[in-house]
Amino acid sequence: MVGRKKKDVVVTNMKDEYIGHSIEVTPFADSDIEGGSLSMGALEDGGPGGAVPAQMTVSVEEGIEGGAEMEVVEMKHSPEKKRRVRIYSQKFRKEWLHLKEFQGWLTEGITDDRAHCTVCDKELLAGKSELLKHSRGKKHRTRAAKSNPNPPPVQHGLSRVIDEDGMPHLLRIVDLRSDTVTQPSREMKKAMMEATLGDDVFSEDPTVKTLEDRVAQMLEKEAALFVPSGTMANLICVMTHCWGRGSEVIVGDQSHLHLWAQGGMAQIGSVHHRTIKNLPDGTFSLNEVRGLVRDEHDPQSPLTSLICVENPHHNAGGKAIPLNWMDELGALCSELGLPLHCDGARLINASVALGTSPARIVQACDSVSLCLNKGLGAPMGSLVIGTKEFIAKAKRLRKVLGGGLHQSGIVAAAGLWALDHVAPRLSWDHTHARALAQSVCEEHSSAVTVDLKDVHTNVVLLHCDNIRVNAKKLCQRLASVTDEESDELSEQIVVMALAISDTTVRLVTHCDIRKEDVRSATRKLKCLKYIKLDVHLPANSCSRVSVVSPLL
Amino acid sequence: MADLAGETMNGGGGGGGEIKVGVGGKTRVGEEGGVGVGAKIRVGEEGRVGVGGKTRVVDLRSDTLTYPSLGMKTAMMEAILGDDVLGEDPTVNALQERVARLLGKESAAFLPSGTMCNLIAVLLHCDRRGGEVLVGDNCHIYRWEQGGIAQFGGVHSKSLKTHPDGTFSLTELRQAVRADNIHFPRPSLVCVENTHNMEGGKVLPLSWLDELSVTCRELGLPLHMDGARLLNASVSLGVSPERIVRDFDSVTICLSKGLGAPVGSVLVSSAAFIERAKRLRKGLGGGMRQSGVLAAAGLYALQHIYPRLSEDHKHVQIIAKAVNECVGGAVTCDPSGAHTNILMLTCDPARITPAQFCTRMEKVGEGEEAALGERVSCRLISINDTTVRLVTYKDISLDDVEALVKKLVYVIKGIA
Repeated sequence: MVGRKKKDVVVTNMKDEYIGHSIEVTPFADSDIEGGSLSMGALEDGGPGGAVPAQMTVSVEEGIEGGAEMEVVEMKHSPEKKRRVRIYSQKFRKEWLHLKEFQGWLTEGITDDRAHCTVCDKELLAGKSELLKHSRGKKHRTRAAKSNPNPPPVQHGLSRVIDEDGMPHLLRIVDLRSDTVTQPSREMKKAMMEATLGDDVFSEDPTVKTLEDRVAQMLEKEAALFVPSGTMANLICVMTHCWGRGSEVIVGDQSHLHLWAQGGMAQIGSVHHRTIKNLPDGTFSLNEVRGLVRDEHDPQSPLTSLICVENPHHNAGGKAIPLNWMDELGALCSELGLPLHCDGARLINASVALGTSPARIVQACDSVSLCLNKGLGAPMGSLVIGTKEFIAKAKRLRKVLGGGLHQSGIVAAAGLWALDHVAPRLSWDHTHARALAQSVCEEHSSAVTVDLKDVHTNVVLLHCDNIRVNAKKLCQRLASVTDEESDELSEQIVVMALAISDTTVRLVTHCDIRKEDVRSATRKLKCLKYIKLDVHLPANSCSRVSVVSPLL
Repeated sequence: MADLAGETMNGGGGGGGEIKVGVGGKTRVGEEGGVGVGAKIRVGEEGRVGVGGKTRVVDLRSDTLTYPSLGMKTAMMEAILGDDVLGEDPTVNALQERVARLLGKESAAFLPSGTMCNLIAVLLHCDRRGGEVLVGDNCHIYRWEQGGIAQFGGVHSKSLKTHPDGTFSLTELRQAVRADNIHFPRPSLVCVENTHNMEGGKVLPLSWLDELSVTCRELGLPLHMDGARLLNASVSLGVSPERIVRDFDSVTICLSKGLGAPVGSVLVSSAAFIERAKRLRKGLGGGMRQSGVLAAAGLYALQHIYPRLSEDHKHVQIIAKAVNECVGGAVTCDPSGAHTNILMLTCDPARITPAQFCTRMEKVGEGEEAALGERVSCRLISINDTTVRLVTYKDISLDDVEALVKKLVYVIKGIA
C-alpha cells in the first residue's frame, strides 16, 4: 500500500449543492463539450437554499494505490481575483463491502464514483465518510429496521415486495410483458453521460447525426432520422409517402400499423387504407395485393400510394418474414409503381432469425422504421430510414408532429451503445423464448398450447383453449404465487405476461431477462398442470402475492 | 500548483495551463485521453473555448441550446425508470405531479416538445369539426408550428393583432368571436403566449390576463397559455406561476429552454383533459418508454436552474444598457422592453441589415483581437428585416456577457 500523503488545500467557491456531502468528495463543476474541445461553464456562487461558504479547507488524500483516485483540475483563472476551483472524484472501493457498518445495504452504484443503498434504494456518492453519515441517518436506520432487523443481502435479480397483509416476500419477477420494458444498463448510461450534445433542431447534435448515419449505413439506405417512438416513425413514413391528398395505403389486417397505432394515419394523416388478410406466417397474398390497387381514373377511389409490410410480424408471433417473399413483394411494388414501407420495429431480431443482414431484408423497401427502445434496450427512440429526399420531408413532419428534440444525443447515445452491445446478443433472447415455449410444449397440456415452430424470434404466443382457461386468467395465474407452488418450487416466481386476445397470452424475452429468470419462468410454466384453471383461487387456500406492476 | 499523480499543472493567472479533462472529471491526470472526450485544451482567460482554439464563442441564438450539466446528467442516470406507456415510470410521474402542483392544476403530461404540447392542447379543446382558435398574429402557435393545428386537427386560426407588449385587444377579441352563423367556424379556444417570444420575451401584464379570463368566461371560451418560458415570466413579475395561470384551462411549459433540460415539455390541465392528452400523445407518436431519464433532467432543472433564472434577465439588462449607451448607433434597443432573457436589437436597415449585423458579430474582424483583448464570436439570429434577437441562458456566463458587450459596442461604433 502506497503511503498516504495528506495535504490541506484551500477550496473556494463551493457550489451550494455540494456542501452536504463529505468533504473528501467534491463533485465536478459543469463542463460542456462542443465539437471536440471543451468549454467550462461557470460555477454558480451561492445558489438556492443557503449561503455557500466562501472557502473551505479540504484534506486531500493522494497516491492511494488501487483505490481512490484524486484528480485535480484547474478550472478557471480570473485575473482580478485568482479564483481557483478544484474538483475531486473518488471511486467506490470494494474493501468497504466488508466493513460492518456497510453490511447488508451497500453495493456499487451506477457509475464508479457512486455507491448504492439497497435499503433506501438510493444512489450515494462513493466516499467513506459520506456512506457512514448515510448509515447513521435516521431514515436509513428506520428503513433498515423495518425491512428486517438482519436482512440478508437481496440476491441479484430478486425483488422485495410487501403483500396486502403487510408480509414481505422475496420474489423473482420475470417481466415478459414486452421488450419495451428494458432498462438502460450501467454501461449504456455511461455512454449517455459521455455523449457530445448539441441542439438537434438546429441539426447540431453530433451524437444524433452519428446514430442516423450509422443506421442508414447499416440498412444501406441514404439517410435516417431519429424520432421519439416507433409509432411516430411509422406515422411519418406513411404521411411522407402519402404527401398528397386522397391517398390510400395497403396494410396487413394484423399489422401494428393497422391495429395498434390508434388509427393515426387516418386521424392525423388523413390517409385512408385497405387491409389485406395476413397469413399465419405474417405475409399476405401477392395476388390479392394486385386486386386492391385502385384505378387512378376512378373518381370514387382514393389513390393507392403505399404498401406496408411488418417484419418481423409481431401479432403473428414475432415471425420473421421469408426473404424470398420480401423480394417478390418488392418486385411487385416496382411493377405497380408503388413504394414499399417496412415496419421493422424489431428488424434486427428478424435479421438474427434469418441469419442475414438487416440491409438484405429491406433491400427492396423504400423506407423502413426501426426501434431502439425494444429489444435493443435503449430507453426511447426509433428511426425512419429512406432516401435523402424522403428524410428531408420526414424531418419536416417530425417537427410539426412535435418530435423535434433538442439535446436528444443523450438518448441517441443509448441507441448507439445498443447497436454495439445489445444487437450482437439478440440471439440469446430467441434462445430464451424457445426455452419458454419448449417448457410448455413438454407439458402436453391441451388447455395451453404453443407451436415451437412458430417461435422465430423473442416472442412466444401461448394459446388458451378458452374452455378451461382463457388468456386473462392465465396471465393472472402467472402473476400470482400460491403456497403450494412456493413449496414445490422453493422460490416465489411472478411471471408477467400480456393477454393480447381472449385466448392468446404473449411472452416477450429481452436483454433484461437473464438465464436465471428463464429458468424460473420455465419452472413456473411447468406448474401449469397443478393449477386449478377454473374461476378464482379460493381466498383461504393460499396466501397470494399478486403483482400488477413491478416494484422497483 | 501542487503535483498530483505525477503531473504538474501550470495554472498561473491569465496564462492557461494544459489540462486534460473528460466529462465527469474522470480523466486521470497524466493519462492519455481519459474517459469521454479528454481533449487537450488551452484554458486561457476564463470561459468557453470553442471551435477554432482560442476564440470565445458566445452563442445567443436560443435558450434551447442549454447543455445538461454534469449534476443534471448524474440525476438522469440515477433516475428510477419504467415503461411510461404503461404508466410505470416513477420519475415521469414525479415530474408530472411536481409541475402540476407548481402550476396549481390537477394533472400534467410529459411530452417531447412544446410544439406537441400546444398541438395537443388545441386539438383537444377544438375537438369538434369546424372549430376555430383565436390567437395573436405573432405567436408561436400561429407562426412557428408549421400550421400543425390545421394540418392535423382541421382547426382554423383567427389571428388577432399583437401589441408590442405581447397582448392583444380584448375588444378585437370580442368582435372576432362571431355569432353562430353558417359562414363562420365555431370559436372554440383562445390562446396566449407568456412570455411572448417574438415581441422580445415580454411578460404579459397580470391585470390583462385577469381581464382576458373574465372576457373568455363571458364568451364561454376556454383559455390555453403557451407558457414555454412561463417561469421566466414568473421570476420577472415576482409572482408564482400558479397565480399567472390561475384562470387558464391548459398550459404548456418547456423544460428544454432556459430551464436547461435536454428534451421535454409539460402540458398541464385538469385530470380529465390530461387523460385525453396522453391518448393523443400516443397517437401522435409521443409515447416514450423509459423517458424518466429525460424527466429526471426536468426535475433537476426545477430544483437547481429555475432559482437562477433571474441571472439570465440581469445579463440581458447589462447588454441592453450597453447597446443603449451607443448613442446614434445603427443598432438600438429598448432596455425597458426587455423583461426577461430575450433582447431584440433594432437595426437601421439603411446602415446595416440584421443579416449583415449577425454575420459581423460572428466574425472576428481585423484588429479586433487587439482592440478587445481576445477573439470573440457572437451568434445571434436575424428575425426579420429590422430585428436581431439574442437570448441569454445558464450557459452564458457573466464573462461571456462582458465579452459580448465589448464586441457589440466595438461593432456598433464601427458601423457608419
